[in-house]
Amino acid sequence: MTHQTELHGILAEYETVDGIMHAAEQVRDRGFKHWDCHTPFPVHGLDDAMDVKPTILPWIVLVGGFTGLIAGMVMQWWMNAVDYPYVISGKPDWSIPANIPVAFETTVLFSAFATLFGMFILNKLPQWYNPLFRKERFARATSDRFFVVIEAQDAQFDTTKTAEFLAATGATAVELVEVPDEPTSPPFGFKAVAAIMTALVLLPPAMIAASRTSTTEETRFHLVPNMDFQQKFKAQTAPLGLENHPLFANGTATLKPIEGTIAQGELAKADPTNALYSGLKYGKPVTKFPKGVVIDDAALENGREQYNIYCATCHGDSGKGDGMVARRAASIGQTWMITNLLDERIAKQKPGKVFETITKGINTMPGYAAQVSATDRWDIILYLKALQKAQAAK
Amino acid sequence: MENHTINPATYTLGDKGAQLKRNMTFVGVLALAISAYFGFAEGDDLRRFFHTYLLGYSFVLSIALGSIFFVMIQHITGSFWSASVRRVAETVMAQFPLVLIMGLPLLYPLLSHAGQDEFGGLLWPWLHPHGDHAALIEGKHAFLNVGFFMIRQVFYFAVWMATAHWFNKKSVEQDNSGDDVSPTFAMRKVAAPAIILFALTLTAASFDLLMSLDPAWFSTIFGVYYFSGCVIAIFAFLAIVMNWLQDHDLMVGVFNKEHYHDLGKFLFAFVFFWGYIAFSQFMLLWYADIPEETGWYLLRQTEPWTNVSWALLLITFVIPFLGLLSRHVKRSRKTLKFWAWYMLAAHWLDLYYIIMPQFTKAPHGVETMIDGKMQTIPIAEPGTALPIGAMEVLVPVALFCLFVAGVARTAAKRPLLCKNDPLLPKCLGFHNI
Repeated sequence: MTHQTELHGILAEYETVDGIMHAAEQVRDRGFKHWDCHTPFPVHGLDDAMDVKPTILPWIVLVGGFTGLIAGMVMQWWMNAVDYPYVISGKPDWSIPANIPVAFETTVLFSAFATLFGMFILNKLPQWYNPLFRKERFARATSDRFFVVIEAQDAQFDTTKTAEFLAATGATAVELVEVPDEPTSPPFGFKAVAAIMTALVLLPPAMIAASRTSTTEETRFHLVPNMDFQQKFKAQTAPLGLENHPLFANGTATLKPIEGTIAQGELAKADPTNALYSGLKYGKPVTKFPKGVVIDDAALENGREQYNIYCATCHGDSGKGDGMVARRAASIGQTWMITNLLDERIAKQKPGKVFETITKGINTMPGYAAQVSATDRWDIILYLKALQKAQAAK
Repeated sequence: MENHTINPATYTLGDKGAQLKRNMTFVGVLALAISAYFGFAEGDDLRRFFHTYLLGYSFVLSIALGSIFFVMIQHITGSFWSASVRRVAETVMAQFPLVLIMGLPLLYPLLSHAGQDEFGGLLWPWLHPHGDHAALIEGKHAFLNVGFFMIRQVFYFAVWMATAHWFNKKSVEQDNSGDDVSPTFAMRKVAAPAIILFALTLTAASFDLLMSLDPAWFSTIFGVYYFSGCVIAIFAFLAIVMNWLQDHDLMVGVFNKEHYHDLGKFLFAFVFFWGYIAFSQFMLLWYADIPEETGWYLLRQTEPWTNVSWALLLITFVIPFLGLLSRHVKRSRKTLKFWAWYMLAAHWLDLYYIIMPQFTKAPHGVETMIDGKMQTIPIAEPGTALPIGAMEVLVPVALFCLFVAGVARTAAKRPLLCKNDPLLPKCLGFHNI
């Protein structure tokens, strides 16, 4: 060495497991604090020989795991029960059994992160480099040699004495390790690349944030245009690029049925004299229940049941227009006009007219033909008549 | 080789085995006699007696089944840490003939007509279908009938006994075969196919014995659920046996804290596995909420079983999970012994939870007003007391004692150690990192 360099420590090499075990015990007994062993494989008993204290990593992992458990639970509670309450499968908004799988996963995830990053922190990683790597001899720490390193920062460290001490422990070689006289920070190129990468990583979230808070007149960017604009026939519109295709005159892939077409099994519904499915005879509402509607106690009971399922939510159990929807609207300070079915205007309506209303809907009320069969609709009218009569009774 | 220096006195049970066998047989027979008196002296309790008998029987069966799994998996993975404890597991495995004899009293409910009109029999309700689900159970008659049931039991035991016998024979053969390791290699080869047969028979046996207590209910994961209990039982049992042996100055030096640590790690892992499987079964049924699937849990989540369900969650999962989490607990044989006994008790609770609610279930269901309609639901009659008394404890204890007596009997006949196992030297020098 031609000029004074800072000393990192002293490296001692051993050829056998027994050798390093002995050496470690002696270094331990001397009371050194800043030192370490490097072996190509885990040596059982070396921890004791070095008097290494049990790691606190398990406690870090335990804290990580509990944090994950609580985070998973709180996250789901906040999402499902607070921020966006939504009934799923009839379960409560905050349903612990449903939350357990996710809470389990977050527990495992946080434990794994705590293990990895806890290990990094306890090992003071990442480090840019270690002076030991400058020693050619040290490369054999990964194949067939064992090393003890006593660092210069140890209070008992003395270059000559420590080197003699290590030689006396049976080391096959003892070597000083200098802190290299070269830059210890990463090169400029590395920093520049890291800065650019960081900027690039931040770009997508910035773009997303920008587009979430602004509007534009321009059409959106089509990433995969031939998926967005496919050359295919569509049922009711002429497709792009196929406007003049000779399949059908208007370029669509289907034609409207010919005027007066009746679907299979629907003949009775198309009969203008049969009011059973429309409530109309020659286009006018019938004044009586049509033929085919059985009027008895069972029909009345069925009418009650169907009414309570489909009608009562708005019109109320008694038909006064005070169902759940009306009450809910009132409770949040809104007005929702729901017809009182006991009103004289409705009571006077012909059965055919009421049937037509239920079938097709009126004003904001939708048609119920899809959900309620024609027979059930007549039964509902029967029950409604009973309700109206009961109301009118003196 | 290191194992040549092991003193044969370390692994010879001798008189201690005979004494243990005598004591355990005495306690076992006495306990069984007392509980049988309770069962038979008063006619009404016969049904309860056989439910508790099934509880005790499935308890010892689970230890025996666990031992098969333990021995097979050690051979398949070629693990060396377990070489010094494997002989004990093999000794447990050799008890299948005894377990078969213990199963014979179950022929009584199987063949008797007692209680057939009221409960559909003394034990499994499918014996004499009755009540609301009679038609449904009749539909399962092709599988659930006495003849086929018995044929299946014979088949399971044939498989288990053959496996146990062959592995014991080969293992003892290795003891005396010097440098020839062919018996060990033969065991490795056979273990893989044997464990498949084991998995299938264990699953089917758990369906037969336990799941069919509620023949209207089904769960495809039920076999795995019972299996997880079996594995807990064997690791707890091995930890207890090794502790007992070392308390009597046996196996000292061949089984140390490193080996206890591994037993403890497996016990801990399977405590979690049990929780995972039990929850998997519960969650799918709970989420789908289909009446034919939820009946089993409905019974257990209504009185008098509500608190038992909570206790099961706490005692079999939460408490031992936290208790066994620490490395120090697993490495000390005294604390591990505590948790091993604890887990055997918890395993008893698990089987109690599986079996006894079926005893209290109202035979024709209970009429309850739900959503404005009267519905019949499969729960216990309101006001039913929790069936927990002398019988529920004594019968399992009795069968367990007799089982231990059987283990002691076999163990006294041969070394407690696979003394010539090729992996033994590695096992003795084993260290956890």
